[in-house]
Order: sequence, then structure tokens, then C-alpha cells
Amino acid sequence: MTTTTIEHGGTLEPEGDGHGVVEGGGHHETRAQRHLKERIALWLLVGGDALFLLLELFTWFYLRALNTNGMWRGAACTKANACTDGLGNPITSEIPKAGITYTLVIAALTVVAALLVWWAEVSAQRQSPRRIISAGAGFALLTVLVAVVVQCYQFGQLPFTTIDGAYASSFIFFMGTTLAHLGLLVFILTGLWVRARRGKYDGGHWFQVGIIRFFTAWCAIVTCVLAATVILFA
Amino acid sequence: MTTAAAPALLEDTQLSSRAGGLYRHQNIVTGLIGGIGLGAIGWALSHQFLQGSNWGTDMVVTVTMAGWVIGLLLGIGAFNAPVLWMLGHDQTHEDELYLAGVGQGPRRYWKFCTDHKVVGVQYLIAVFTIFGVGGTLAMMIRTQLVSAHSSFLGANAYNAIVSVHGMAMIVATIIMVTGPFGNFIVPIMVGAKDMAFPRLNALSFWLLFAAVPPLLATFVLGGVDAGWTTYAPLSVQAPPAMDAFAITILTFAVSVTLSGINIIVTVLTMRAEGMTLNRLPIFTWGAVIGSALGLYAMPAFMVGMVMMITDRVTGTSFFVAAVGGSGWLWENIFWIMGHPEVYVILIPPVAAMLEVVSTFARKPIFAYKVTVGAFIAIIALSIMVWAHHMFTTGWAPDLNGPFMLTTELISIPTGIIFLCVIGTLWRGSIWTRLPMYWAYLFLWNFIIGGVTGIYLSDVPADNYFHGDMFVTAHFHYTLLGGAMIAAVAAFCYWFPKVSGRMLNERIGKVAFWMVAIGIQITYFGMFWEGFEGMPRRVAYYDPIFLHANQMATVGAYLLMAGFVVLLYAIIHSWVHGRPAPANPWHAKSLEWMVPTPVPLENFLVEPVVTADPYGYGEPEPAAPAAEPEREPVPVGSAETTAGEPV
Amino acid sequence: MSSDLAVKTREPDPLPPEKAPFFSRPSGKIFLIWLAMTVVGVLIGFYAPHHLLPTMLSVEGRAVWATVVLLTVLAAPVAAFVYGVGFYSLVAWRQRGYGQSDEPPPDGPPLRGNSGLTILWLVVSGVLVVVMLVWGLAELASENATHPNSLQVDVTGQQWLWTFSYPGAGNLETRSLVLPDNRTIVFHVTSEDVTHGFWPVELGVQVDANPNVVTTIQATTNKLGAFTVRCSQLCGLYHSFMYASGAVVTPQAFAVWLHAHGASALTASDVARVSSSS
Repeated sequence: MTTTTIEHGGTLEPEGDGHGVVEGGGHHETRAQRHLKERIALWLLVGGDALFLLLELFTWFYLRALNTNGMWRGAACTKANACTDGLGNPITSEIPKAGITYTLVIAALTVVAALLVWWAEVSAQRQSPRRIISAGAGFALLTVLVAVVVQCYQFGQLPFTTIDGAYASSFIFFMGTTLAHLGLLVFILTGLWVRARRGKYDGGHWFQVGIIRFFTAWCAIVTCVLAATVILFA
Repeated sequence: MTTAAAPALLEDTQLSSRAGGLYRHQNIVTGLIGGIGLGAIGWALSHQFLQGSNWGTDMVVTVTMAGWVIGLLLGIGAFNAPVLWMLGHDQTHEDELYLAGVGQGPRRYWKFCTDHKVVGVQYLIAVFTIFGVGGTLAMMIRTQLVSAHSSFLGANAYNAIVSVHGMAMIVATIIMVTGPFGNFIVPIMVGAKDMAFPRLNALSFWLLFAAVPPLLATFVLGGVDAGWTTYAPLSVQAPPAMDAFAITILTFAVSVTLSGINIIVTVLTMRAEGMTLNRLPIFTWGAVIGSALGLYAMPAFMVGMVMMITDRVTGTSFFVAAVGGSGWLWENIFWIMGHPEVYVILIPPVAAMLEVVSTFARKPIFAYKVTVGAFIAIIALSIMVWAHHMFTTGWAPDLNGPFMLTTELISIPTGIIFLCVIGTLWRGSIWTRLPMYWAYLFLWNFIIGGVTGIYLSDVPADNYFHGDMFVTAHFHYTLLGGAMIAAVAAFCYWFPKVSGRMLNERIGKVAFWMVAIGIQITYFGMFWEGFEGMPRRVAYYDPIFLHANQMATVGAYLLMAGFVVLLYAIIHSWVHGRPAPANPWHAKSLEWMVPTPVPLENFLVEPVVTADPYGYGEPEPAAPAAEPEREPVPVGSAETTAGEPV
Repeated sequence: MSSDLAVKTREPDPLPPEKAPFFSRPSGKIFLIWLAMTVVGVLIGFYAPHHLLPTMLSVEGRAVWATVVLLTVLAAPVAAFVYGVGFYSLVAWRQRGYGQSDEPPPDGPPLRGNSGLTILWLVVSGVLVVVMLVWGLAELASENATHPNSLQVDVTGQQWLWTFSYPGAGNLETRSLVLPDNRTIVFHVTSEDVTHGFWPVELGVQVDANPNVVTTIQATTNKLGAFTVRCSQLCGLYHSFMYASGAVVTPQAFAVWLHAHGASALTASDVARVSSSS
């Protein structure tokens, strides 16, 4: 087990994980060790993101419960008793809820993207990995891009803006969170698609696809949780 | 010397002239150019298109500061690898060696360098710098407060200084041990060749570097007048400096999160053979446990700041009560971060200090497993106590009782830490070298800090003391008198390994006494102020508080002078000090088993661990793990079996 | 390196003779240090709060004093024990002659733990926590109890002054807080702008003033005298100047004051007059 020579200048193997296998020095890191590291790191990152999500939900429910000055959605604002928005303009009626269609579509698209990556990872074991993984990644990427477009469109279609009270603020915060996750997915799925087409996963090692499947699934969970909150607890 | 098959050292590898690619041309200068450049572009574009909107100036400042951060990272090369990955290329082994600093000599300290020892030293310099800034601001505060109505600072300048002093010190104390020593020492301590994710490690440092200028920029952007706690809605109304402050925190939080993930994964997956969790040095436990809590706290910090930015830049009303928001939302989210965060500050230095106590009492850590359990209990409890900062807010009076319970419970595992220290000292062979001096000072200070915390945990007492200088004195005793002094102990302990020199103990002991006495005078003066009823964060005060303030200011000058003397000792020793042997303290953990200076990838031969590093007084024939002398030996030689003495 | 291989333990501490007096053993000497420091701590507990805290004018304020004394007295033996062992270690077990040495002193005995001691430590700290908790919860309950015939006072904070109004007296509004003695005062506190901290210092209570909500705190006066209302939550530029004067006066003086002052603000001489009529 022990090595007494120091190895350096090892060869690069064209494998999808992107590391030269020989790390140099007295230690050789096995592929299994590297995968364990990446898996734990991803769990920790997702844990942090989960806490971010939890606190967003806390924000939603706390402000909704407090309903300070009646301005969660301004249920008591009337022409006679106008409330004011963030710029001091009068609000004379309750802020309308956002429609649920776009929210559902975005959530569904993110789930589809996750399923596509999952399918790619699973099917690649039976057929040509290059075609399967690049197909899965490519379609997932397209799906996510559509979701991004829908999310931006929803923003433009909202019956309120950021200045219209706590519900509006929280809703838009949730949309921004979804968009941030989708944006990250665009970067990651682009990379997956490009790398698959360049044959990085031909060697039978697609651990990285699994990592990406994990993260895409997590993004789908985030989107669904946020969607459920805004639909059920407006 | 040896046959032709003798291997060269890794750091002497000759790399091709293309190794490293773009990194060859990137360093701190290109980073600064990138940061200032992209910041200027951001300023120009946002000024052109966004200035006219309702929140124009805030938008401009936010975009400019964000541009600075991203531009710096671009210029230093932090995005090279991810972009390469996305394009389907990968770094070669030669690239990785270049990134680790091979062939660059001292220049590597100015670059995006993945060698954990380089990152450790970079963090060390950053910590000194930030403490210097925070300390200077503290002296300005104390100078203002030497008289009841001083004309030294105006009211706005004072508030701005108080805010930046607080935030700079929080930044510095969070990273003061996990940054330099979590990076430099922990991988060697567990028998690894580097951190789990070396590139992420370098990124963490440069994120920290990027976070500091926006904090300093607050002074020229109107000043943050809301303290480092930036309670809303005051902070929502603050000048554009608050936007820069928010960018600082977002950047810093990402840095700490990444660094925390790195430390945890390193310790979980890269330990040498035989290094079971039972044999892990307690500092490593402290670094991991503190980092885990940081992973909990930092996302909370980020949520709050994102909402703060949207309130200021887009008119959302998370914290504006008239439009449906609540200052209590800010306070809850802030303290959900803020209380665990003080344990993120405290646990790594305390764990490092326990190494010092063990080494200089020549005894094993007393109740090792129980102490590790106590650290874990502390972080578990710490996420359940946050509203003790909100006893007097009126947000939920019925919850005051439960939070009083959880807060007082934390004193139980904290007490175990004291048991560990005095148990280790009991019947030890006390070797009174400089690191041990600081450990004793920690013991004295932290009792006072901890006990005064108990006063504050009692709700009726807190109804008097909240928001007055008693609170300030309490947390300075725990954070400065406790955590920072423990960090100084750790620094003096590992100085020979990091710098290769012995620290001048004569000057160090002079500094020690000045700091020790300065702390007592300063913060007992502050307790006095608090008892009398002086509020926090005031630039001018009722003359009845005069004597207490004078005492605190005199103490502060002594304290600062002591730190200056210590800094002199450090710089003098780093340049002129006696060269240090590999193991000057005759300690037993792995970092002392490698040569000084530590070679690239740390171990010439992978160590095999057979015992924990606390075998003092136990009849072992050998050190727990050993490495042959630095001269590498040829293959097949009789002396090449690792783990046994030559 | 080779010096690490031959482990030198120092000579075992000489065992005391069978009937050695308690005070010649380490535990005995530490007991003496502990005793001395505990006495000092208890004395500090009885002296310092009394002389450093302002004269409290309410039941709650006096409870603050009592709590500080109790907690100091409880903490003194704990702190003294830790300090005692720490000091004694430097006196008895410090190895002289190694201060400048590169060679370490011989190792100490390999004492890795003592489960009995650990359990005892946990039990004692647990008991102390229970005592503090019971004391604190009892105090909290009594401070939250409602009292009949309490006086309602509305407090409004704004940048950077306090306004007080008495809804039971035709909404008389003042800038000084005059209160009757031997009465429970219920403060309803709010803010016009940012978060402030309403802190009538010598009444020993405080509560934040938040915009668009009303928070409540109560205090039962039991002593005559003047007090100061300070702001305990940083509220911007002139936070330092946000204070108001107050006085606890006899019920008769209070009634006179209410009747005489209608809706006008109180002047400093009025306050001086009512508080000196005690």
C-alpha cells in the first residue's frame, strides 16, 4: 500500500469526471474516493439550500400570519379606506392573487427536466452512453430554457408588482429563487450536453451524470415546494 | 546521493511553458483590474439605465459592487475551470501542478493557488489585515467615548464606524482559525495531501478578498448607521452604503459556506489509514463541527440580505410595516444566523486551544469523547436559542420562557469544555511556553464571559440589561477574551510550522501581559457602564457614565498597545527568528511529523496511524505515526516501510 | 525525533502519608483557594450590584438587583473551582527551568478521563440550571401577571424623542413620564418610524417600539424618585440624544399633576416640583 516514490506527470485519461487519475505525491485517490467526496459535498450544499428554502417559507407564513397593517394582500383596502403601496400610491382594493397556470407549468417543466436526466443516467447503462446522455441532457436543457422563458413571462403578467405588499414581495422572491435555480441548471445541463457529445462519458463512468441528476431533482423539489406554497396559501 | 531512480520532490517538477494555460497570466493585479473594470462597467450601465428609477442610487451601488466581486473572480481565474468544464475540456495534471504553485516561488501567494498551505497563509494575512481595520475603528470608538460629549467624531461618522467595526470583527473572528489553520493544518493533521476540493479552497479565499472592499466603501457611500446587526426598518432607509454592506455579506457567506464544505469533506473522506474518528485530533473535530454550524448559519444570513436588497432596490416590503412587512422578520432571520454564528466563531479556536493545553501539560485531552459530544451538543442547542436576542422586542412574549430554557441549557455542555481544560491541567507537567500563557488567559476570560451571559439569559434581568453596555462587555469577553485569545494561542502554537521560525517569546510575553490586563480594565469598565444604564452604540452619553468610560478607554489603549507589540514580535520573528525544528513542542499529531517547511502534498510517504495524538505518559515505543527524514530513499531499500521509525 | 520515542514520565507525585491532613493534598489546597475565591465572589455579588446599579423604583427593578445577586452568588463557587484548579496547576505542577528550553519537561500521567467526575459535573451543572430556570420562570410569571387598577400609558417613539400619553386622563400628552407610586403601570409602546427601545432605566423593564404594532410591558412602582427613559435600540443619527426624564411621585401629586396640566407638555421645573413633593 505504501509508496516510496513520488509520482508526477501522470497521464490524463479522457474520462468524463475530468480529473487526471494520477494525483501525484504519495497518494493515489481512487475513483470511489472522489465520488464519495463529491456526493457528500453535494448533500452539504443541498442542505444549505434547503435551509435557505425553509427560511423563505418562514418568511411567507410569518408575514401572512402577522398581516401587519392589513397589507399581506390588503384585504381591508377600500376606496373609502385606501392603503398605500411602497411608493405611497393608494391601494383601493385587495391585491389579486397570481394565476396558478404559469406556476404549475414551471414546476412541471422542472420535474420533466429531472426525469429526463434520470432517464439518461439509467438508459445509458443499456445503450450507447454518448447518444443517450447527450439526448437526455439536451432535452432537459431545452425544457429548462422553456421554463426560464415561462418564468420571465409570468413575471410580466403578474397582477401586482414588488411594491404591492407582503404577498406580492414574497411571491416575487419565490419567482426569483426559481429563476436562480433554473439559471444554474442551464449552466450545468449545457456542460453535461457538451461533454456527452465530446465523448467524456463513453468510458462507462457517468458518476457525474448521477450528481447532476441529484441536483436537477433537488431543483425540481424546490420549484414544486414553492409552487405549492403560493397556490395553496395565497 | 542515490541511484538514478531517486525521485525528485514534487515541487521541483519542471512544467512545460504551457502548463496552467490562462492561469499563467492571472494574479492579484489582473484580479483587481477585472474587479475595478467590471465594477466600472456595472456602474456605467446601471447609471445610464437605472438611475432614473425610484431606487436608482441603490440599484447603481448594488450593481457596481456585484460587478466588483464577479470581476475580481474573473480576473484572478476562479471561473476558468468551470467554464472549461462546461466546454468539455478538463485541466491536465500539469495544469493542476501549476495551480498548486509549482515553479512559481513566492509569486504563488499572489495568485489563485490551490495548495492548502498557500491558502492558509493568504488567510492569515487577511485575518491580520481585517483585525487591523477593526481594531483601528475600535480605538476611534473608545477615543470618542473618553468624554461625554466629544467632538472627535460626528454622530453619523460614529454610527458608520460602529457598524463597520462590528462587521469587520465578525468577519475576522469567523475565519481567524478555520481560515489559516483549518486550511494549513487540518489536511496535514488527518494525513491528507490537500483539501478535498483545492480549487474551491482558493475560491473561498478570493471571495473573502472580494468581500472586504465593499465593506470599507460604506464609509464613502454615506455610512451604515444601523450597526452590524442592521435592524430593519432603519437599515431599509439607510444610505446606499447599506447596499455595499449587503454585497459584502452575501460574498462572505458564500466564502464561508464553501470553505465549510471543504473542511467537512476533507475530514470525512481523506483521512490517512488508521486515522479513525476516535484518533482524530480534537482541533479537527472543532473545525468540522464549527464548519457544520456555519453551513446552517450562512444561508440564513443570505436570505436576510437578499430580502434587504430587494426592499431597498425594488420596493418590496419584507421589513416595511406599513406595507405588510415586519422588523421582527428581520430580527428572527438575523438571529437564526446570529446566535449559531458566535459558536462558529468560538468552537474552532477553543478546540485548537485544547491541543495547546494537552501539549503544554504533557497529558492527554481529558474526557476526549465527552468533549467532542459537548461541542456537538453546543451546536445542536445553539440553533434553538436565537430569540434570546429578542426577549425585549415584544414579538412573542409567550416564547420568552422556552428560549430562556434552551439558552440556560447551553451552559451545561459549555461547562464540559471547562472540565476538559482543568482535567487536562490536573497533575500535568505544565510547560509554560508562550502558547500556554494564552490558554490560561482564555480560562480566566471565558468564565467571566460565560457567567455574564447567564445574567442575560434570565428574561427579567435581560429586561434591564438588553441594549446596554453590559451586553457589549459580555460578548467582548467571550469573543475577544475567549475566542480570539484562544486563536492567539493556536497561532503561537503553529507559528513554527507555518513560518519556519520560532516566535520571540520574550516580546510575546510582554504583549501577553499588556493584552491580559488591558482586557480586564477595558471590559470591566464596560460592565460598570452597563450596570449604570448606559445604552449601546451611543456617541454621546450622560455624564454619570464618565468614569466608567474613562476606565474602558484607558484599558483599550493598553490592549491595543499589547496587540501592536504582539504584531511586532510576529513580524520580527517571521523575518529574523530562529529557524524552527520540525517539532519544537514535541507534540504527537501528524502536522509535527512532517518537515518544516512542509513539502507540497505534505507527506513523502503516506502515514499509517496507530494511535491518537495524545499518548503522553503512555508506554508507546514510537510516535503514533512517523515519517522518514526528508531525503527520499530509493525503492526497495530496507528503510522504506512507512509508519515505523527509521 | 528520537527523544519522542523514549517516553519520560516525570517522577510520580509523592504519595501523601496515610493520615495526611486534607490541606496538604492537592485537593485540600485547591479547596482553600476555592473557598477564598468563593468568599470574594459572594462579597462582590452583594457589593457590586448594590453600588453599581441605579436606585430602582419598581418591583421589577428590585427583582433585577436580586437576580444579579443570586446569579453571582451561584456562579462564584463554579468560577472559583475552575480558577482554583487553574491557579493551583501553575503553583504546584509548573515545571521550572523549561521556560526557554527546546526540550519538554517529562510527560504527565496519562489520565484520559474520569467518568464519575464527568457525571458529577453534569449533574451539578444541571441542578444549577434548574435552579436558575425556576427562579427566572417564577419571576417572569409574576412580572406578566395582570393587576387590577393598573394605569395605562401609551408610549410613542420616533426619531429622536419619546411622547407619553395617558388615555385615562383625556389623552394628556407629555414629553416627560410622570407616574404614581405603588401602582402597576402598563405601557403600550409603538413607533412612528423605525424600531426604538423604550427603556425607563430605573423601572428595570424595557420593550421595543415597532412601527404599526403595539407592544406591552408593565412595571409596578414602589419607590419615589426621578428616572430616565433611554432608547436601547440604535435608531439612527441622534440615537444618543433620545432620552426623556421621568419621575415616580405620590398618588396625590400625580393626581394634582394630571389635573393641572391638561394637554400641555411638562416643563423641567414641573418635574422637579412633583418629584420633590414626595
